[in-house]
Amino acid sequence: MSNSRETGRDQAIIVDRGYRHYDGTRTGRRGAVRAIVREGFRRVMGFRRKAKRKLLPWTLITVALASVLILVAITWATSQTPAEELTDLVPRYRGYFDFISVVALLFAAYAGAQLLIPDRTDGVLNVYFSRPLAVRDYLIGKVLAYATVILSFWLAPQLLLHLGLAALSREGFLSYLGRTTDILWQVPLAALAYFVLHASLSFLTASFINRVGAAAAAFLIGSLGLNLVALFFQEATDDTPGSRWAALLATEQHPRYVRDWIFGVHESAEWIPAQAGFGPGISLAVIVGLAVLSAALVGWRYRRLT
Amino acid sequence: MRSRESGLVTERGTTPEAGAPIIEAGGLYKRFGNIRALEDVDLDVQPGVTGLIGANGAGKTTLIRLVLGLIRPTYGKISVFGTPVAEDPAGLRERIGYMPENKCLPLDQTAADFVAYAAELGGIPPVEARRRASETLFLVGLHEERFRYLGDFSTGMQQRVKLAQSIVHDPELVLLDEPASGLDPAGRDQMLELIARFREFGMNVLFSSHILDDIERTCDWVVMLDAGRLIHSAPLDPPGEGDRLSVEVYGDPRPLVEALTRRGVSATLDGAVVTVVTRSEDAFTVMRDALESSGSSVRRLGTSLRRLEDVLVAAAREANV
Repeated sequence: MSNSRETGRDQAIIVDRGYRHYDGTRTGRRGAVRAIVREGFRRVMGFRRKAKRKLLPWTLITVALASVLILVAITWATSQTPAEELTDLVPRYRGYFDFISVVALLFAAYAGAQLLIPDRTDGVLNVYFSRPLAVRDYLIGKVLAYATVILSFWLAPQLLLHLGLAALSREGFLSYLGRTTDILWQVPLAALAYFVLHASLSFLTASFINRVGAAAAAFLIGSLGLNLVALFFQEATDDTPGSRWAALLATEQHPRYVRDWIFGVHESAEWIPAQAGFGPGISLAVIVGLAVLSAALVGWRYRRLT
Repeated sequence: MRSRESGLVTERGTTPEAGAPIIEAGGLYKRFGNIRALEDVDLDVQPGVTGLIGANGAGKTTLIRLVLGLIRPTYGKISVFGTPVAEDPAGLRERIGYMPENKCLPLDQTAADFVAYAAELGGIPPVEARRRASETLFLVGLHEERFRYLGDFSTGMQQRVKLAQSIVHDPELVLLDEPASGLDPAGRDQMLELIARFREFGMNVLFSSHILDDIERTCDWVVMLDAGRLIHSAPLDPPGEGDRLSVEVYGDPRPLVEALTRRGVSATLDGAVVTVVTRSEDAFTVMRDALESSGSSVRRLGTSLRRLEDVLVAAAREANV
């Protein structure tokens, strides 16, 4: 028995596997969009890529998570001291957005450029658009991938912070969670405002610039530089009629102003649009307007490319 | 509706109507501004392996992009599998594979990841996509290297990955744009052998090239474009048919021509060179007998098959008259 088995194994060779046809169900355009979201997530995070591609995103993620641990540690330390009111000075949910704003801006710049530029420069769009995929499907997939990474970047540390603060709370873990249910909608909504603005600017720059570093730099300059331009106009042309509209150029400040609105903070005079007399609703309208403009320009660019 | 067995398939895949053209174009015009990329093209591409030949700028890539539905014709109609492309371009693309001529590989991904991703974009569910990617890379000879990054691949290996991504989602029609470009002779041979095997897999192929030898070795049918116009569309002669034999004789060649004519073979005379083209008999036997009976002495003798080049040169000449 065993002899015949061994003889059979000795004689068995793979001559040719040939080609296996596929008769199963096809996932269509939705499946293709899901594939783009998954692949986009992997690309930004550096999954299934060489180690050097993981370096920047994971450094930024580590900084974001480490900052939460630091905040929780400071909260614990101050709560142990006689000057317990110091605890109130430690940034919490709303303040955390400002606390890691530079890191988040870097991550947003990197993610947008990584999602769009390599597909163009590597010529992979030729393959994508030979599949059952329209330009709109491709861009929707990319926006969803961006939403996944950016919202995770904002929300995962916030969740960690929430659980940390609940664990340190004197009133007890569950009582704290029950008392702070507003956070569950305020933080995601504020993160959404940041995401919409960052996606608009990031996709716009990444659509027209063919180098990842240059596009990320253009995004950062666009975000921070426009703040300076708005400030300059506001101060230099204070008495000129209509000059206050320049305050709307402070793109990076609009989501902060909207965030304060969401958190019910009405004394937001530090923001340039607020100083120019605009309400948070105008900032929200600017964010939405930028998103619409960006969608139109990016769509136009990609239709021309294909 | 295709009817194919799962597992190995050796017969051709069936199209909506057996024997119906895979691609039909009628009065097809495509202009880009003032540039006429295609002009009044009427074309039926039959099942099998079809060669699309023409110089750079002849309109080959434009035709491929029209078949994919990536651009719309200025005038005219184009259908694939009997369905007008304009009606359902995305649905048709699920049944088409495309290998672009230019670079199209993400160099920071492994071959397995990229081909699986290409399968998913073609509508294959994720788990099955990974399985098919592995099988397809085995088929193109890259099974051992499938987990290497594409940036570390040679040009020949990258061409194979491009080919693998074009067939991984089991298309019925594969459009190959200059698949052998940039390959060394050995790599070119392997690539052409692989493409010739697509016939066994039940796939129809439209294969663009400007190298006649590649088309001659691989295709059943040849389509020639010149400056956007269709100047030739016909099956390739099997190599055994249309044998041509030329003989140069010492002295007067006319007795040889007469001897050949008596044997019912038409011969042409060009100086001292007598050429016969015969499809029914062995040209050597006929010539030997005619030489013997005419008493002519051979100075030079040579064979030549009716080459694709001759056909296309004649077609181009005719089109330009």
